[in-house]
Amino acid sequence: MKISLNWIKEFVDLPADLSITQLASDLTMRTVEVEGYEDLGASLDNIVVARVEVIQPHPQADRLRVAKVDCGEAELSQVVCGGSNLYEGQLVVLAKPGSFVKWHGEGEPVEIKASKLRGVDSAGMICASAEIGMEELFPAKEEAEIVDLQGYDAYPGQPISALLGRNDIIIEVDNKSITNRPDLWGQYGIARELAAIYDLPLKPLPVFQEILPSGINVEIENADRCARYAALSIEGIQNEQSPVWMRERLASLDVRPVNLMVDITNYVMLCVGEPTHAFDATHVDGGIVVRQAKQGEKLTLLNDEVLELRESDLLIADKTKALALAGVMGGKLDSVLDDTRDVILEVANFDAIGTRRTATHFGLRTESSSRFEKALDTQRVDQALGLTVALLKELMPEARLTGFTDLVLKPTAAGSVEVEKQYLEKRLGTELKVEEVKALLGRLGFDVTYKEGVFSCLVPSWRATGDVSLPADILEEIARIRGYESFAFTPPVVALGKALNQPQIQMTQHIAQLLSQRLGMQEVFTYPWVEERYLEAAGIEKESLLKLATPPSPEQAHLRPSLVPGLIEAVQLNQHHFESFKIFEQGVVFFDLHNQAQHLAFALAGEDAEKLLFEAKGALQAIPRLAMSEAFDFVQEEAPSWAEHGLWLNVKNKQGVFGGLGVLSSKAKRAAGIKRLAVVMAEINLDALHALPSRDNAFKSLPVYPLVAKDLSVILEDKVSWAQVEKLVGPMVRDIAYITEFRGGQVPEGKRSLSFRVWLGSDAGTMTAVEIDKRMVAITRRLEKELGGVVPTTK
Amino acid sequence: MLEKLETMRQEAENDLQSITDLQTLQKVKHDWLSKAGKVTELLKAIPTLEPEQRRPFGIGANEIKTMLTERLNALEEQLLDSAGSDLKLDLTIPGFDFTRGGLHPTRQMRDDLNQAFLSLGFEIYNGAQITTEQSAFDNLNFKPDHPARETMDTYWIAGTEQKSAKERYCLRPHLTGASVDYLKEHGAPARFVYPGMVYRNESTDPGHERAFYQYEALIVEKDFSFASGRLLIDTILERVFGKPIETRMRAGFFPFVEPGFEIDMRCQVCGGKGCGVCKYVGWIEIMPGGVPHPNVLLAAGLDPMEWSGFYINIGLDRLVMMRYGIDDVRLFHSADLRFLEQFK
Ligand SMILES: [Zn+2]
Repeated sequence: MKISLNWIKEFVDLPADLSITQLASDLTMRTVEVEGYEDLGASLDNIVVARVEVIQPHPQADRLRVAKVDCGEAELSQVVCGGSNLYEGQLVVLAKPGSFVKWHGEGEPVEIKASKLRGVDSAGMICASAEIGMEELFPAKEEAEIVDLQGYDAYPGQPISALLGRNDIIIEVDNKSITNRPDLWGQYGIARELAAIYDLPLKPLPVFQEILPSGINVEIENADRCARYAALSIEGIQNEQSPVWMRERLASLDVRPVNLMVDITNYVMLCVGEPTHAFDATHVDGGIVVRQAKQGEKLTLLNDEVLELRESDLLIADKTKALALAGVMGGKLDSVLDDTRDVILEVANFDAIGTRRTATHFGLRTESSSRFEKALDTQRVDQALGLTVALLKELMPEARLTGFTDLVLKPTAAGSVEVEKQYLEKRLGTELKVEEVKALLGRLGFDVTYKEGVFSCLVPSWRATGDVSLPADILEEIARIRGYESFAFTPPVVALGKALNQPQIQMTQHIAQLLSQRLGMQEVFTYPWVEERYLEAAGIEKESLLKLATPPSPEQAHLRPSLVPGLIEAVQLNQHHFESFKIFEQGVVFFDLHNQAQHLAFALAGEDAEKLLFEAKGALQAIPRLAMSEAFDFVQEEAPSWAEHGLWLNVKNKQGVFGGLGVLSSKAKRAAGIKRLAVVMAEINLDALHALPSRDNAFKSLPVYPLVAKDLSVILEDKVSWAQVEKLVGPMVRDIAYITEFRGGQVPEGKRSLSFRVWLGSDAGTMTAVEIDKRMVAITRRLEKELGGVVPTTK
Repeated sequence: MLEKLETMRQEAENDLQSITDLQTLQKVKHDWLSKAGKVTELLKAIPTLEPEQRRPFGIGANEIKTMLTERLNALEEQLLDSAGSDLKLDLTIPGFDFTRGGLHPTRQMRDDLNQAFLSLGFEIYNGAQITTEQSAFDNLNFKPDHPARETMDTYWIAGTEQKSAKERYCLRPHLTGASVDYLKEHGAPARFVYPGMVYRNESTDPGHERAFYQYEALIVEKDFSFASGRLLIDTILERVFGKPIETRMRAGFFPFVEPGFEIDMRCQVCGGKGCGVCKYVGWIEIMPGGVPHPNVLLAAGLDPMEWSGFYINIGLDRLVMMRYGIDDVRLFHSADLRFLEQFK
């Protein structure tokens, strides 16, 4: 919202030495964030009135003309102008060299310099309204139209700022931070707030005290939707253009001047925050009815749009037809035109929620609806009436007030809040004096009495509809007006409890560290919504997945039930930049509305799928020890939908399978557009992997006599697994470790040579060569006998 | 026999002189000091001598042994010293690369903050990412149809978007709803942080994302004064910037706090003098905060006249952007390793 400093000063005498920076800072700290301010006068420096004396064609350009203008100096100035409505004798706006204008009405202002335009000297620029930020005051019918000051009491050389009274500072505040403060949606409300901040008196608004015969008949069907409706009959208006000062003030707050009657209603709204509405009296048949619409009832708006209404929409109607959408927008029939003579002025109070619903439904967020939806007090109607009548008397003396009807069905009650002094002191962390509290709240319009440790606070009506109803609200008022910075920090005193232990959180943390720091994987974040293409690549059925009602894009509607599709996409994206890489993600996946899980997934991309597969297995294998989780087994039970046939494993604990790893299938890679890289993926459900509260391994004594390491190679049928060899040999030795496998060469087709290392030892003493040989022979025999192995003798 | 000793001493001296490298040194050592070496031979000969010659001969032989041992050790050290310098290496070649892999920069920031809050005795909380209108709005004092609901455009779950309250589901638009759930579950007093991803249905640009990381911290204590809430703010900023940061609390409106604050920090670019980064005010808006609204405490089953506290919520993505000078928030979810690898 924009605030006019000049307007504020009409209601409160701000200290002479108060700078605009200080005011902006005080308002920001205590009430509402000031987003910026603009000195309108300064932006018009060196922009003056000029009279066009002579016009000549431009020798080089058909669209341009050369004007000799009088700008109050001894000699005429020559200016090149492209204005479509230029004529001799015209009073125009001249931006002299050194002034700043917005080029074509857009962007930051640029400096005007004396220059040549297509070869002709030009000492400045004749301005269009957008170039000097006056679109509201001088609406242009086409882009090339320049401002025509016909009708203004202007003379050549007169500064434009002086002509228009444009010497104001316009302050812009953040709307979002006053959605709970209906009282601040007007210049008078901001003035009242500043008066409270600086502890200064606030000047009253004109009071409505006309004695009038009762006016047009008004009926309100539902007091919950319309708490008050006042109708003022005004006859014999002369609807001309408003005076310059009013047009200028409206325009500087972004409201386009229309005609005097409409301008007065807008002026009143900007000032007190109460939207009012003028109906042409000749269009109102038999009286005003405030009623809910009939389902399907039609209303034609000013812009010829036809609304089909619902029962929940509130209408202003007469005995026969709908006139306006209450609190939102007028209809085509009721518009006040230049030839309107008699009007009925509506000053009413409509409820916040209903107004908002209607405005939102029809996409009609107007100045009016945006104020009613903040919840206004019924007392504000009086302020609007008072100000309107004062303006009418001043600006339209010929108009006659002929009747007044005021239905007040639900006046806003002054709320009352009781607060204990002790409560305030504890929560504010400081002692308070009764008089201080009374004074602080008094500045804000609260009426406060104190008895036996309790403040009784009568809330002013302009705050009662918004945000003040609880002791905490009173506390906030005291703290912010006194200044939040005036309360000293005291460190909180807390009791020491049991030390926290959150093993599951620790475990996920450790896993991330393990994968990134030890195994060289890079963590990535992907979105919870996944593109269909990658779901399909991962072989995931879409039908049962959760979907977003309004997704980021139509193909990103599904919520992920697995991290794999997102990682496939990440691999696809990174394949263009890297020959090999390893990535992982820890994130939430979704199964249904009530089931989500924390998953871990990683993808290893490179040249050799086999090598990557065992790297992936190794990474999972490392988790129990390094991340302090329970142990788990590798099995082959449920093939992941994205894995190559046979090249996959599951991880399984006592509760069952909770994840898997495998080579990403060629089919999946093709669907995802992954070209040359081999990819191995793994995914586990972290919620199913139980963290250990502490480590579970125990110390083993060091061997008394040194162990002897021996390597052994055995040729076995392909179908004999390493696990079988390990199971057979393991119990015969102190330790055993896989080394490598080998196919081809001397090894017959269908077989492979498995190499491994065993450690032998004895508790009786250092083993002799003979003892070692005996043991190795025993191992060889068993491999031959039980697994059909052949141990080559050449060595 | 003593002449023999003298000859041997001379011979040893000659052999020592002949040493030019480690190889010849090893040979001399072997010739003289091994089990079958010349010194051993000399010592073995002692019992065959006349009794009166044994002692002087023994002394002489041991002198030779000591002389050889000392000179050979000294020579060996000398030769080892000079041997290394023969190797020609390009020492500008980089060392082995151990640095592959890393954590997401936002996660690193989160972990830093977690660590700080853990040391203050805060618990770490994880809530569900799918929540309901009731939990995300109703419980938090967002009145139905209140305009404030609109500031958080929410991703509703298809099939529930026309329903209301606890039957209308969404991806959480903020974390605060689940904080109430935590309080319901654990009661008061409470001290916890709640880091997590939240989602808003917005159009994206370098400053706006649909998925972003928030960090929430909440204390609920008896009669907690709002000024003590600074503890939370200072803990975060000092951890992020590595030094104490000046902050201010100013009036702000959020439905779930009362009083509510916008918390600003001193602009670190200009030190408060005013610059383009802080739009010439010397302060940068960094997070909202405030005292949990009485209605929020009530929703959590706590008596607002008894319990009070402080709440803050900070956008981690923005902090990370400030820390590293990142100019596009969308990079965080890009999974682009060229970006992520810069933070390992
Ligand atoms: Zn700055």
